[in-house]
Amino acid sequence: MNRLCDSMEPKVMDDDMLKLAVGEQGPQEEAGQLAKQEGILFKDVLSLQLDFRNILRIDNLWQFENLRKLQLDNNIIEKIEGLENLTHLVWLDLSFNNIETIEGLDTLVNLEDLSLFNNRISKIDSLDALVKLQVLSLGNNQIDNMMNIVYLRRFQCLRTLSLSGNPISEAEDYKMFICAYLPDLVYLDFRRIDDHTKELAEAKHQYSIDELKHRENLMQVRLQDERARQEELEKHKTAFVEHLNGSFLFDSMYAEDSEGNKLSYLPGVSELLEAYKDKFVIICMNIFEYGLKQQEKRKIELDTFSECVHEAIQENQEQGKRKIAQFEEKHLSSLSAIREESELPNIEKMILECSADVSELFNELMMLEMQLVEQLEETINMFERNIVDMVGLFIENVQSLMAQCRDLENHHHEKLLEISISTLEKIVKGDLDEDLPDAPASLFVDKDTIVNAVGASHDIHLLKIDNREDELVTRINSWCTRLVDKIHKDEIMRNRKRVKEINQYIDHMQSELDNLEYSDILD
Amino acid sequence: MFERKSKRESLPSYVLYTSPKPSPRPPRDAPVVLVAPAWSDSQPWRILPLPHRDILSPDSQRRSRMEVLREKVEEEEEAEREEAAKRAEWARTEKMMRPVEVRKEETTLTQEMLRDLEKKLSEIQIPISAELPAFTKDTIDISKLPVSYKTNTPKEEHLLQVADNFSRQYSHLCPDRVPLFLHPLNECEVPKFVSTTLRPTLMPYPELYNWDSCAQFVSDFLTMVPLPDPLKPPSHLYSSTTVLNYQKGNCFDFSTMLCSMLIGSGYDAYCVNGYGSLDLCHMDLTREVCPLTVKPKETVQKEEKVLPKKYTIRPPRDLCSRFEQEQEVKKQQEIRAQEKKQLREEEERLMEAEKAKPDALHGLRVHSWVLVLSGKREVPENFFIDAFTGHSYSTQDERFLGIESLWNHKNYWINMQDCWNCCKDLIFDLGDPVRWEYMLLGTDKSQLSLTEEDDSGINDEDDVENLGKEDEDKSFDMPHSWVEQIEISPEAFETRCPNGKKVIQYKRAKLEKWAPYLNSNGLVSRLTTYEDLECTNILEIKEWYQNREDMLELKHINKTTDLKIDYFKPGHPQALRVHSYKSMQPEMDRVIEFYETARVDGLIKREETARTMTEYYQGRPDFLSYRHANFRPRVKKLALSSAESNPRPIVKITEQFFRNPAKPAEEDVAERVFLLAEERIQLRYHCRDDHITASKREFLRRTEVDSKGNKIIMTPDMCISFEVEPMEHTKKLLYQYEAMMHLKREEKLSRHQVWESELEVLEILKLREEEEAAHTLTISIYDTKRNEKSKEYREAMERVMHEEHLRQVETQLDYLAPFLAQLPPGEKLTRWQAVRLKDECLSDFKQRLINKANLIQARFEKETQELQKKQQWYQENQVTLTPEDEDLYLSYCSQAMFRIRILEQRLNRHKELAPLKYLALEEKLYKDPRLGELQKIFA
Repeated sequence: MNRLCDSMEPKVMDDDMLKLAVGEQGPQEEAGQLAKQEGILFKDVLSLQLDFRNILRIDNLWQFENLRKLQLDNNIIEKIEGLENLTHLVWLDLSFNNIETIEGLDTLVNLEDLSLFNNRISKIDSLDALVKLQVLSLGNNQIDNMMNIVYLRRFQCLRTLSLSGNPISEAEDYKMFICAYLPDLVYLDFRRIDDHTKELAEAKHQYSIDELKHRENLMQVRLQDERARQEELEKHKTAFVEHLNGSFLFDSMYAEDSEGNKLSYLPGVSELLEAYKDKFVIICMNIFEYGLKQQEKRKIELDTFSECVHEAIQENQEQGKRKIAQFEEKHLSSLSAIREESELPNIEKMILECSADVSELFNELMMLEMQLVEQLEETINMFERNIVDMVGLFIENVQSLMAQCRDLENHHHEKLLEISISTLEKIVKGDLDEDLPDAPASLFVDKDTIVNAVGASHDIHLLKIDNREDELVTRINSWCTRLVDKIHKDEIMRNRKRVKEINQYIDHMQSELDNLEYSDILD
Repeated sequence: MFERKSKRESLPSYVLYTSPKPSPRPPRDAPVVLVAPAWSDSQPWRILPLPHRDILSPDSQRRSRMEVLREKVEEEEEAEREEAAKRAEWARTEKMMRPVEVRKEETTLTQEMLRDLEKKLSEIQIPISAELPAFTKDTIDISKLPVSYKTNTPKEEHLLQVADNFSRQYSHLCPDRVPLFLHPLNECEVPKFVSTTLRPTLMPYPELYNWDSCAQFVSDFLTMVPLPDPLKPPSHLYSSTTVLNYQKGNCFDFSTMLCSMLIGSGYDAYCVNGYGSLDLCHMDLTREVCPLTVKPKETVQKEEKVLPKKYTIRPPRDLCSRFEQEQEVKKQQEIRAQEKKQLREEEERLMEAEKAKPDALHGLRVHSWVLVLSGKREVPENFFIDAFTGHSYSTQDERFLGIESLWNHKNYWINMQDCWNCCKDLIFDLGDPVRWEYMLLGTDKSQLSLTEEDDSGINDEDDVENLGKEDEDKSFDMPHSWVEQIEISPEAFETRCPNGKKVIQYKRAKLEKWAPYLNSNGLVSRLTTYEDLECTNILEIKEWYQNREDMLELKHINKTTDLKIDYFKPGHPQALRVHSYKSMQPEMDRVIEFYETARVDGLIKREETARTMTEYYQGRPDFLSYRHANFRPRVKKLALSSAESNPRPIVKITEQFFRNPAKPAEEDVAERVFLLAEERIQLRYHCRDDHITASKREFLRRTEVDSKGNKIIMTPDMCISFEVEPMEHTKKLLYQYEAMMHLKREEKLSRHQVWESELEVLEILKLREEEEAAHTLTISIYDTKRNEKSKEYREAMERVMHEEHLRQVETQLDYLAPFLAQLPPGEKLTRWQAVRLKDECLSDFKQRLINKANLIQARFEKETQELQKKQQWYQENQVTLTPEDEDLYLSYCSQAMFRIRILEQRLNRHKELAPLKYLALEEKLYKDPRLGELQKIFA
């Protein structure tokens, strides 16, 4: 591998070198003259060839944003770098270099053909981003572990692979192994794999492959499950009622409540707690379902709204297009009439007429646009009112449900207090049937302590409920404001764009007319 | 009643309005006088076929009278039959008179008087049968008909008796109605009941499974013969066999045949004997609009008013004056009313002109058609089929003026409903005995009304069951039809019309039909539409073709505009679909449409005028949708130059493209115009989704050389562009230059395409002319009759098979038979016998071989001798021979030598083969199972 790198001076990829290469490989002949006149921008270049230049380090390529094909073969590059910006790259040739590890290719998602032939690579790695990879050439390297092949299974488009000249290709099982593990492969080491070989390979490695497949499937299923769960949660989040379809809130109430947990050991409390939990969860479920329903309603509302707005805009556009088409027809005929006319006064008159037409078109188009703006404004305001109402109603109902939760909590609190006090009295009297565990026993010192403990637990619970409610309300409110804002902003943007477009068109027409005038006067 | 009478007096054509019953048949001598409609007030009467029906009337007195009547009737019947035997030639008259005599009988009831009267009446011959045109019984060959046609089975006799009885009672109860059409004579002069003449047959042709095609077939297949007497049913009703043989018939024959076929394919169909309008009875369609000319009514697609959605924008405020609008609308309405009035007047005038002359016999003309009741075969409602035309009519149609009776293969019903309003008020509930009087009890009463069943109730279920049993016991089944199954040969089915040709005259139209392959150019039908009622000025001609090799399906010639339109089925070599033209000369107005899926270039349509050519495309990978070329008149060069060698110069080519979703809109060309004369190229791009303006670009190529003589490659003023969203790279000269170069290449290609299209048109025209001249017909490979090639092949195959068979027979010739015959038969051969048999057989064979050899030898010797003699004779007379004789001799010699050589060869061959044959026979004999004994020795 130590090719001539010592005998020749390594070169630097600088601007001059790149310019020269671009100039050489750019358009030729007439087009070439033009190109020379104007100069070629690096970002317009689609393909670049930089072979046999003794390049040591890849550099200065960040301007070639649209490059599709890059050839850097037969240099002395040691590290893949500086290619991050070339995201459109389809073809990359890095063969006959001194590269040791595969790296720096993570942004080249469009790459289809990668050649790393004759390098010093020992491990196939870091190619995860290259989902479209079809051709991979890794011959004459130092890959010595057969398990590298398994890594290539993830490239579903891979059809051509070359690995000859690696230590693994010496292995007697080499071909069979690859055929078995990469069943979609068509060409291996520049030869077509025939069906017979494939069958043989499959039979030979069936067990290990099946196992592998099984593992992969399991992984896949797990991933899918995870994704489905995420999606479900996401859906609930958009309805602002996530984690309300169960005892999550209830559990969280007791998670940080040490007193409450202690108190639950009191006789009769556990039953009380059970009943309380059931009721609480039912209310939570109610909120959850109501939230989903409301979300559905809001969605339908939004869909209808955007559909109607879209229709209105389409209709308006059609009208505008028709107007322009009519105008253009007329305009073209009058332009040709002007060209043919020879009398100067007549020409002037006609040009005046034309410009009047243009301004009339402008007026018409602007009128259409203004009309649309007015109509849309009205509709948007209506939608805004409705959606705010809906959100308000939702919040109100949720709040009333939450109040039920609070009532439950209060009720529970009273009961608990009662039990606690009676227990305390019993303890004081000393006729408690059974011994209490240590933790709750420490609370039953006097009345204040026990009342405080129960109160603290109650406060924590109420706080949790309040927090959840506040979160829901803030989030839905902010969603609502954001939505309305966005609609308004979109409409304004649309309006500005349209006005700009009309102005641009009218300006063009006007300038065309002016040019005509000018040239006529010159004539 | 009074009202009716007064009307009758005032109106000469009163029958139409006042005829109180289905058969307003006046007596022969005075057709205007009518008997008072007595039946209308005699509601609960019943007719009693004997002996199968009880008198349902509670009136016992009447019953006793009926019994007396029955006896008398039987006696009378006896006598009548004797007489009928005596006077076969009077059959017709007698039958006609039967109703009269029955009527008489009820008043006088004396046999003598009756006989007397009968005799007198029978002397009054009415010469009607002589008028039967063409299709008389004399011309019918009855010798080949089966026995059932010539005689009546006892059951049939019984049925006839029942029918006679039924008829008598009927005429007794309804004396003013015409006699029933019950048992006309068939072609063998045997009276047959009408229901038994129906022979339900399911035809083997799937085309005849549905009523419409079936009716059309019957109407095509038979030629219509008018009734001998238009005022009464015919005396004869022939079997469908005869009718099919002669392909002729009157309305009763038509409807009988159609009804048989419909019942066979599962319809609830009935033959109707009733009264029809003149047009109907004479199969006169000249006042009918031809069904083929009726354009299908364009179903006006009602635009469903979409409910305005919640957020649909409000329409802009309408600032027009409402008052003005109203005034405008009023004015418009007035104008429209005026127009409408004029139109109506015009129409009325036209209608007046087209209206038929009033028919003096309106309402009296007897006609027969088919009634199909709903229920079976998913028929949604009752309708009539006129068997003459094969058209269907609603039961409300005013051409059907009344129904006398109807029957199917199981029963016979008389209509008891008033037909004063044509058939509009009739209710076809045949189970209702008040409306329809049935003849046989117990057969299926179709649609026995549900209300009755409900009335009978569940409480007396037993009674109902008992009743059912009684009914069954008494019911008399209709005997099986005497007619043979209807058979139509495939040839006849294909030929359809008699002689394969049929002409129908419609109102302002004439339709001609031919059997396929009858015309050498494949013409199967032609519809000529005329401008006027007299059919003199042709408006347009439509010709339908079949089995043509060029797939021509329909040729439409418009005589007023001279426009010809050819329609093709898929499969033309040039994928033609429609070709409309005025002349076959190239570069004239024409439109050619194609089956675009069959073409590589996806061309749908090509329109040509003298100076332009427009092409429409679909489904092309380059998204081209439209190409329009303008031409300049051809520069006159040489007189000889044809269109091919001297194409017209192109002035302008316009091409339009569909949106290519793969490209952004501002790079996707929507239209490009090559102005070849001005060296200008205009491009218009597609419009982006949210924009209303589209980018444009115009390339000019004014000067190639600048003032100093340097070549100008590209200057900014050579490309004028408007961009919706200005982009940097498009401003570059290089980009523009490349675009222009690309367009130049494209221009060349487009020009080439246009020329090629022109050439293609020429080619198509040439091909069309050739096809028109040749008009070859395709023959399906499954068509074994017409396909000559397959026929030859089949015949050859048959011949080969036959020869093969002969040879097999020969080889199977039993060589042991003559020897075995000497031995006693049926016994197993002993070994000695077997050996002897074998030896005999072998020696016999040996002898035969030797004989054969001897024979050949003898012939050989004979030939040689003759030759020698001739040679001798020649040598002797050589000097005196004429050259002719010498030639003769020489030719004889060569022939003789040839024969000798052949004989020699045969002899040698025989010598070679004889031992082999001998051995083969020996082998065979060893293996012969009959000589099994032989094997035992060797085994």
